[in-house]
Amino acid sequence: MDPLSITLFTDLVEKVCVIIVIAYLLSRFKYFTEVLEGKLTIKNQIIFILIFGAISIYGSYSGVNIFGAIANVRDLGPMVAGLIGGPVVGLGAGLIGGLHRLTMGGFTCVPCSLSTVLAGLFAGIIYLANKKRFIGIWGAVLFSILMETFHMMLALILASPFAQALAVVENLFVPMILANAVGMFIFAFMITNLIKERQTKKERDKLHAQLERKKKELEIAHQIQESFLPHTIPYIENYQLAASSIPAQEVGGDFYDFIPISGKQTGLTIGDVSGKGIPAALFMAFSRTLLRAKACRNPGVGRMIESVNNFINEEPHSDMFVTLFYGVLDDENNKLTFVNAGHNPPLLWKNETKDIIKLSTGGVVLGAMKGLKMDEKTINIDPGDLLVLYTDGVTEAVNKQEAQFGEEHLIKLIQKNHNLQVEDLKNKIIDEVYDFASGTPQADDITLLVLRRNG
Amino acid sequence: MEMTGKSVNNVEVVFLNGRLDAYNSNLVEGKFNEIIDSGKVQIVADLSGVDYISSSGLRVMLSSLKKLNKMGGTLKLSCLQHYVLEVFEIAGFTQLFQIYDSDKEAIASF
Repeated sequence: MDPLSITLFTDLVEKVCVIIVIAYLLSRFKYFTEVLEGKLTIKNQIIFILIFGAISIYGSYSGVNIFGAIANVRDLGPMVAGLIGGPVVGLGAGLIGGLHRLTMGGFTCVPCSLSTVLAGLFAGIIYLANKKRFIGIWGAVLFSILMETFHMMLALILASPFAQALAVVENLFVPMILANAVGMFIFAFMITNLIKERQTKKERDKLHAQLERKKKELEIAHQIQESFLPHTIPYIENYQLAASSIPAQEVGGDFYDFIPISGKQTGLTIGDVSGKGIPAALFMAFSRTLLRAKACRNPGVGRMIESVNNFINEEPHSDMFVTLFYGVLDDENNKLTFVNAGHNPPLLWKNETKDIIKLSTGGVVLGAMKGLKMDEKTINIDPGDLLVLYTDGVTEAVNKQEAQFGEEHLIKLIQKNHNLQVEDLKNKIIDEVYDFASGTPQADDITLLVLRRNG
Repeated sequence: MEMTGKSVNNVEVVFLNGRLDAYNSNLVEGKFNEIIDSGKVQIVADLSGVDYISSSGLRVMLSSLKKLNKMGGTLKLSCLQHYVLEVFEIAGFTQLFQIYDSDKEAIASF
């Protein structure tokens, strides 16, 4: 490259830089991103035509005069316009730049004007051929090189005298192609970045919306699940009753229930579904509803639970199961008839002996196998006796040293606080479990039911 | 969770070592499925190294037992620690599983 070409080239690059600054500012306009997203409204097209037409005119003015011809980046504006806005936009911007060039005169004015118009049109056709998408960085650069070569050929064919045209082309060929290719590279780079940026934002927004929806769904699931727990504690003559369930996550697998059976009989139940989250919550709702439907006005215990177990096993609930304690309290003869299907044995504190009796019947968890026999037992509830039903969230709460709260701890707590009101004792146990865990996140649902016969 | 296995007379003995909590239970389930997929349906799980089992652990044991029973095989347990045995008893699982004091007895019972 001779010194003239070098000054020409650096001069042109400076002009390209000006165009890039304009282009950058443009890219922050909403019209620009709208067009990139394919929103080619008439308004957007007109705005694009005017802006890139103006950039094309700037390309002409910023050109450098060499022997009566102008080395310039006039074609860049229409090329970019066509590549991202289609033939109408490309042609429009090209016409503005081309017609303006025509008014500047000079012996190459016809081929130069024509090539600017064609640059916009060809770019638009490439846009259509590429399914109305930007062709990408290297495609765009290649196109600009080919287009400028074509521009030079037009000049050779159409401008006269030929000898003068040849001299101009010899000087302009390299700097024009380089300047336009560099200009196109930077433009294309910015456009692909912008497209990527938009895509990332779109994906992020989508993900965000999904998360929001999930959160909403969990909230609804939580509300539905809460509606499956009793809203009020029933009144049982000569007895006091308190109950709470605190799920570890938004939804849990623990439940308790009071089921009216007759004027003097009330069903008491506590259960824990294996697993956590929505599947456990749905299975809990299913089990609880099934139990309630079977138990209502049915004084049976063992046979009734056998039938519940068979029913659960009818359904292919994958491999879920539920531990369940179910007892019918008769407040006239003060007897509790119960079945324990794999649940942590409830603790009965006897007022007379101060001893703890664990209520178990050796039953298997519900849902494990069809046709299992469920033995029932009956026990007397004497004045002042205290019954604590709980789920393993209480005894398996762990502290930082990974030690478990444990059944022994619970038994001692009951023995020490047996004279508290049922509501207070229930809260005392929950507080003690939280104190013990001392900040270790609650891993499992905590459910407690406390019953006392008045002394 | 450490898991090692050996074959004795067509019986696959799996030694489990660690806590059978929610996370490890999935690993154990994977191991059992691997054995089942390889066509072996007689399994002994040696639980001497298991000092804790959660309800997820029980779930995996039960689902593996059910799967094996369907295929004409079974899952037997041996060497349960006191706490684990207690959890099995509470859940009533001692009625579902054949439990042995040693691997030898478990293998001989097939």
